Amino acid sequence: MKQRIGVYICHCGGNISDYVDVEQLGKLMAKENGVLISKNVMFACSDSTQKEIEQDIEENKLDSIVVASCSPKLHTHTFRNVAIRAGLNPYNYTQVNIREQCSWAHSDKPMDATIKAYGLIRAGINRVSYSEVLESLEISAQKVVAIIGAGVAGMRAAVDLARMDNQVYLIEKGNTVGGHVAQAGRLFPTNENGKEVVDRLYQRIRQQSNITLFTNATLEKVSGSIGNFWIEVKLGSEELKLNVGSVLVTTGFDFYDPKEGEFGYRLSDRVITLPDFNKMVENSKGKLIHNGKSVKSVAYIYCVGNRQSKGENRYCSRQCCTAAIHSSLHVHEKFEDMTAYHLFRDIRTYGKQELLYQQSSKNGDIYIRFEEKEPPVVELKNGNPTIKVKDYLTTKRELTLDTDLVVLVTGMVPRTDSNSVSSKLKIPIGIDRFFNEIHPKLKPVETVIKGVYIGGACQGPKNINESVQSALSGAAKINATLKSGNINLEPIIARVNADSCLWCGKCAEVCEYDAISSIANGGKLIAEVNKATCKGCGICAPTCPSNAIELAQFTDNEIESMIDGLMSKAEISPRVESQQNNQKAGVQSLAGYPKIWRTIANALEGNTLTIPQIAEKIDQEASLVTWHLMTMNRYGFVESAGLNDNEDYFMYKLKK
Amino acid sequence: MSIDKTKYDALVVGGGIAGQEAALSLADMDYKVLLVEKDLSIGGKMIHLSKVFPTLDCAACITTPKMSETARHPNINLLLNTNILEIEKDNGIFSIALTIRPKYVKEDLCTGCQLCEWVCPVIVDDGFNNNMVGRKAISIAFNLANPKVAAIDMNHCIKCKKCEIACVPKAIDYSMQPQNISIETKTVIISTGFNLFKPENKPQYGYGKYPNVIDAMQMDRLIAPTRPYNSVVRPGDGKIPDKIAYVLCTGSRDTSIENAIGCSVDCANNPICSQICCMYSIKQAQLLMGALPLADITIYYMDIRAFGKGYEEFYQQAKGMGVSFIKGKIAKITQKDHNSGDLILRYEDVTTGTLKEAKHDLVVLSVGVLPNNEIAKVFTNQKLELDDQRFIKQVDELLSPSLTSIEGVFVAGTAAGPKDIPDSILSAGSAASEAASYINNI
Repeated sequence: MKQRIGVYICHCGGNISDYVDVEQLGKLMAKENGVLISKNVMFACSDSTQKEIEQDIEENKLDSIVVASCSPKLHTHTFRNVAIRAGLNPYNYTQVNIREQCSWAHSDKPMDATIKAYGLIRAGINRVSYSEVLESLEISAQKVVAIIGAGVAGMRAAVDLARMDNQVYLIEKGNTVGGHVAQAGRLFPTNENGKEVVDRLYQRIRQQSNITLFTNATLEKVSGSIGNFWIEVKLGSEELKLNVGSVLVTTGFDFYDPKEGEFGYRLSDRVITLPDFNKMVENSKGKLIHNGKSVKSVAYIYCVGNRQSKGENRYCSRQCCTAAIHSSLHVHEKFEDMTAYHLFRDIRTYGKQELLYQQSSKNGDIYIRFEEKEPPVVELKNGNPTIKVKDYLTTKRELTLDTDLVVLVTGMVPRTDSNSVSSKLKIPIGIDRFFNEIHPKLKPVETVIKGVYIGGACQGPKNINESVQSALSGAAKINATLKSGNINLEPIIARVNADSCLWCGKCAEVCEYDAISSIANGGKLIAEVNKATCKGCGICAPTCPSNAIELAQFTDNEIESMIDGLMSKAEISPRVESQQNNQKAGVQSLAGYPKIWRTIANALEGNTLTIPQIAEKIDQEASLVTWHLMTMNRYGFVESAGLNDNEDYFMYKLKK
Repeated sequence: MSIDKTKYDALVVGGGIAGQEAALSLADMDYKVLLVEKDLSIGGKMIHLSKVFPTLDCAACITTPKMSETARHPNINLLLNTNILEIEKDNGIFSIALTIRPKYVKEDLCTGCQLCEWVCPVIVDDGFNNNMVGRKAISIAFNLANPKVAAIDMNHCIKCKKCEIACVPKAIDYSMQPQNISIETKTVIISTGFNLFKPENKPQYGYGKYPNVIDAMQMDRLIAPTRPYNSVVRPGDGKIPDKIAYVLCTGSRDTSIENAIGCSVDCANNPICSQICCMYSIKQAQLLMGALPLADITIYYMDIRAFGKGYEEFYQQAKGMGVSFIKGKIAKITQKDHNSGDLILRYEDVTTGTLKEAKHDLVVLSVGVLPNNEIAKVFTNQKLELDDQRFIKQVDELLSPSLTSIEGVFVAGTAAGPKDIPDSILSAGSAASEAASYINNI
């Protein structure tokens, strides 16, 4: 049992303290068994608080710490590192979540949120008092990377990983490299040709002797874990088993395939998708010819298969607006006397791509805005399309357009085989059905499976430049992980008590990661946990009939003590507004401060007033009074005295 | 720290989110990195923000651990309040001349206790809070600053010595001088970020003239946990606003700015889209619906560009919460009368094709992104080229997005063009990958 516990309860700058009475909890926790220090902090994660905790650990010889702040998903590593720097074992620290689980979830009931936080923090203290010293597992790692998918993202990442001295296996399902880009024709924003871009990249791959490219290769099975994955690949009739340290998934996307009849698609050869249209533009010389007929006018219908507020693709595919406009510019440049109608919802030519939109407008392209609830209707007479659309840019006037061609600007969708890839690699799928990263800002290319990274459009719509950036980001992370040849793994894994284990095999049956097998021990078989493969999910522990397998950090002692902590009765008194950190200033005199401060203070002497009332009283601009009053408030000379009767202004008073 | 303080593998210029990410990525690969920041703390623009779209994580929760990791990484040296004077390339090595501006507070002694700040009688504009409130002439740059040490604003200091007397560890030193140093590095990463459009340069919107016209960065401060007013109130008179307007594309997608009064190169025509303003405005609108449940919020827009992962869904969510979206460009903003401080917005409602006027009690200008390209001037014997919009030019935008016109110099984040935070982070990771590949093959 720990006897020198430090407890830190975070305000999260108001995110927690606006609802949970953290000051009172801080005082209550100081009385708990084993607690030596209990503090309230503004931002536990800030550098200065981290330093303060380190100092406390060192000076007071704390044997464990509890941080009550946000979700452990955010900051477990932050505070483990604090412990490490102060010489405390990082597993003698427990995170308690009083933000997502208390203040945010129960913002309507601050008292109840405080009571719940009380239980959770007590549970955390009880748990940490049973915490053990754990050491992370060091394993050796192969400096070898498998990249799944040889589109531009995968190819480009292969080049850098190879240049950073990793062996790379580039695994492509199709028989050629370059994915969609190889067939895309002219690309925005550089006007390079897709095939040429892919050729250029392919030459760079060929220059790297440490890249092995497999085409017509399918991913069959993945086993192992970070540092040592086994990737089974089928090459025709041949089967390969590759030992790699890390995996980068760059399997890309499919274009949305419109349903039969969607804007007349497949009912007439004059309704085609943008990728097909681009091929046609690329292959036509002098005149734009489609199935033997000359094309003089084109209507582009945007957001096909995307931004469906009720359909399955609610997201925006981000690159299609620019792609369509770029095609239209190409057509204008290449063929004479072309008319272009753009039927759009919002034009999303973000960033510098806006210039393409402006050029298209200058070229005389006609932009017609529709809304989702009133989409354009394509009617076909003898296969010739007529479009009826209400233009929201001209007071919803109904327009009828006869065009030679209707181009459906189709969005991006997850690949049809993405489920098979995700299930082999256990990558989570998001609501949009693309692969999901852990966090868009904190871990944008990492997945929940350590050592498996995602890049490019398999994680959501991206243009070429963005796909390359995310794949290279993944390359940087992979190189950092594999560079030393060693990887440290979490010690929070299952462990077996050899005495009580009777090897019934139930734990191995439920283990999703194939981490448990049997081993001979003292004349009997017992279960053995593969430390590198075990993910610490804990599913084995409750299945064991003889209670012989447990999860580190989640032992019976720890769990039961947490329940005790949660069940204990809270004696919380109603909140008393605290003075926080402005106390010391209240007694300062105003000598030396700006003259207007003294004037404001005089006006407030014995009064509570709103800013306009003060301004009127001292005959100054209200904006000037606001600036100074707020500064006086900041330094503790005045404070808010609640709302006025109309509830539209705060009133202020002098601080005692 | 076991770093040779004169020789590095990489110099990272700018300690915003992109610079931190690039420095951390390289340092994790065991390269020695010098991160140079011109301000008093790392954190860049992101540390100013309240919450971030589309997850509504609090910005501090995402960025302070990264700041802390950057400041502590054994392979990263940090220089703050530092300017780069010259970068010269010779035989593949970059020689850098730097000057560290004095803080007048000894960094190694200061504990960040703020006793000096409490006693200082001189009030100056608080830049961190976009001048909506005052702070002392000696202060810590902001609550979550890293490093958390005080600095004196010598332009305003009256040398009354109150701080010197109050400071227990005797960290105050009025005689500090700029310190010039030089270092060598194999590669340079430019992550100098962007400038926000100065809304004064769109005089028809009344910014600077009407106190209740603010810019979006000011609004982000008003709703941040470390906010200046403890509540969302108007800077004009402290009123709790109940009819708030957002004017999108202020200083973006706009070619009519060039004749603005006092306009410098800063505010010349900005034809491009800034890529972030639609989303940050929608974010603020959602947060305001939470902070001021009774307020009406209207967003005047040209196109809503909710293009990233989860962004369209976030936009639809705002509509569902009751935020009004009106397609129309605001022509002019005038103050109704001095007393009420309310504002009249004149606009063309595109849906009905009519000119309309609307009254709001607080107007937020969603200002755009302009290049910050000062760094290009310090290269002495090489030319760092800029693109047509004066961002750092990407010479192979599709396949090597971080390459610049100088071999060994890479660009990360918004220095190359407008980007949101996730894209800036990815671009920084990508720059780190390209820089590491480059160093490994010199």
